[in-house]
Amino acid sequence: MMRRKENTARVIEQIESKPFSMEYIKIISGDFGNTLDLPFANAIKAGFPSVAEGYEQDSIDFNRDMIRHPEATFYGRVYGDSMVEAGICDGDIAVIDRLAEPSHGDIVVAYINNEFTIKYLDLSQRHLGIIILNPANASFEPIKIFDSDNFKVWGVVVWTIKKWKNL
Amino acid sequence: MYYAICDCDNCFVSCERVFRPDLAHRPIVVLSNNDGCVVARSREVKELGIKMGVPYYQIKEKAAKHGIITFSSNYELYADMTARVMSLIRKNAPAFFRYSIDEAFCVLSRHTRDSAKVWGENLSRLILKGTGMPVSIGIARTKTLAKIAVHFAKQYPGYNRCCAIDSDEQLKKALSMTPISDVWGIGRRLRASLDQKGIRTALDFAEKPYDWIAGQYNISVQRTWRELSGQDCIPDEDIAAKKSIMTSRSFENLIGDLHSLRTLIANFAARGAEKLRRQRSVASIVGVYIVTNRFRNDLDQYGKMIDYTLHTPTDSTINIISAACEALERGYRPGYLYKKAGVMLMGITGREGIQPDLFEYSPEREEKLHRLDSTIDIINRVYGRDTIISSAQHYHAPESDETHTSYTDMIRHDHRSPNPSTRWDDIIQLK
Repeated sequence: MMRRKENTARVIEQIESKPFSMEYIKIISGDFGNTLDLPFANAIKAGFPSVAEGYEQDSIDFNRDMIRHPEATFYGRVYGDSMVEAGICDGDIAVIDRLAEPSHGDIVVAYINNEFTIKYLDLSQRHLGIIILNPANASFEPIKIFDSDNFKVWGVVVWTIKKWKNL
Repeated sequence: MYYAICDCDNCFVSCERVFRPDLAHRPIVVLSNNDGCVVARSREVKELGIKMGVPYYQIKEKAAKHGIITFSSNYELYADMTARVMSLIRKNAPAFFRYSIDEAFCVLSRHTRDSAKVWGENLSRLILKGTGMPVSIGIARTKTLAKIAVHFAKQYPGYNRCCAIDSDEQLKKALSMTPISDVWGIGRRLRASLDQKGIRTALDFAEKPYDWIAGQYNISVQRTWRELSGQDCIPDEDIAAKKSIMTSRSFENLIGDLHSLRTLIANFAARGAEKLRRQRSVASIVGVYIVTNRFRNDLDQYGKMIDYTLHTPTDSTINIISAACEALERGYRPGYLYKKAGVMLMGITGREGIQPDLFEYSPEREEKLHRLDSTIDIINRVYGRDTIISSAQHYHAPESDETHTSYTDMIRHDHRSPNPSTRWDDIIQLK
């Protein structure tokens, strides 16, 4: 069960007991000091005193545990199949962290030819002044970028979210 | 001890650029509500000599000629992006208070000038990387001097977006290069008077003896003089909390009838109440003003500001709307065409300190209203603005059927950008 923490500006709401489906959840950022509480269901054994007693504040909190830099985290929706062999498919949601340091082999978001693209970052030819963005799909070509292009990674993909069931 | 002011560069323009990196060096303006006036300009636009606040129609030709890109204000985007920036500042500064949507003061108590400068450069770099927002930082012994320093940080790339002024020599040079009208706390009105006395730069002003200033100017000008000489004397409280909330708008077409005005006023009141709740405050005075178009000499002129004092300070949408409508009906005169209206919430205090009026106050009712408002706020945040509104916010034509014109349709936002940082439907597309 999810609930909104009292008086927090950052809201995740569960509507009409529909679980985690994206159409029904909206995150309104505002106060980045607050987190979302998911009560943590510890093993409770009948007849024994609860192991969780005194630890009621423990919870799994997606915002706290999966998002390292909330102020620098943005979301994007994947269109097309260029990363399908990496398990990233059309319609998936990418969690993008702009403060994560991009390194060789990371999946990154970059802005090229007036659009955002999601690709593997290949720095193996960096010493030659070339950065490569590799798709994960044999029918797509790698994108070569030269130092002179003033290229910047927009953010690093730290999670992708996939929907398996419409509820 | 040093003060640091962190100030977003061309804030609204920079917000737009985060999700449009292709516009990095292009000239951009952001227009006010109803696409009326220029409220933000990129550096490129400033260099074209386009001034802040000019009506858009006056620069339309110039805009076309120079390929200026226009955006309608997207306050949802600006509020979210600046909240991210402020949060990063707060996490990295020992003491922090926000001064406006895009500025914050920090107090650096344990820094040397050099370490403060390094701190500022690092913070600015962190914010730019994390949020895409360029932030300039000015550091000095007083708030007024920090404001001067940030001006230099913005102007000269050599500072790496952070300028720290400390030694007498640096100070003198900075003051001599700063026109007196750019000094914080010196208004345009004062500039004329100072100019007459031969004071053109901040240094001219600072070099006058204190008695000379005290003899002819009020306490706030004296305070500015002392701040320029390095004495810290503007208290933090003076610049911290917002003391009033104003929601106002110029109409695209002139409005004469009370029904339409009431719809607009109700919406302004609802927006104000929502802002009030967000900062966990209550208001005790609801002011409403309406004015005709003063540029239309051919029309009769009328303007009125009516204050409605609440028995008990409140943050309830329903209470504030009814107070605003009451005030409007007191001030409204038929036979005029109105151009602008606004609702101002004043007498703002924290929610905790409510002094109830013993005859009117019903804790049960207040509690119910509060729960209702919190629920409506959540629904409107989750499903989008104006999903649930008070019926007063809907326009009812006096004698017509039930077909409503939604208030939001009455505002023009021809060039509004999406909200990729706050709405799932608008998140960026990755190909």
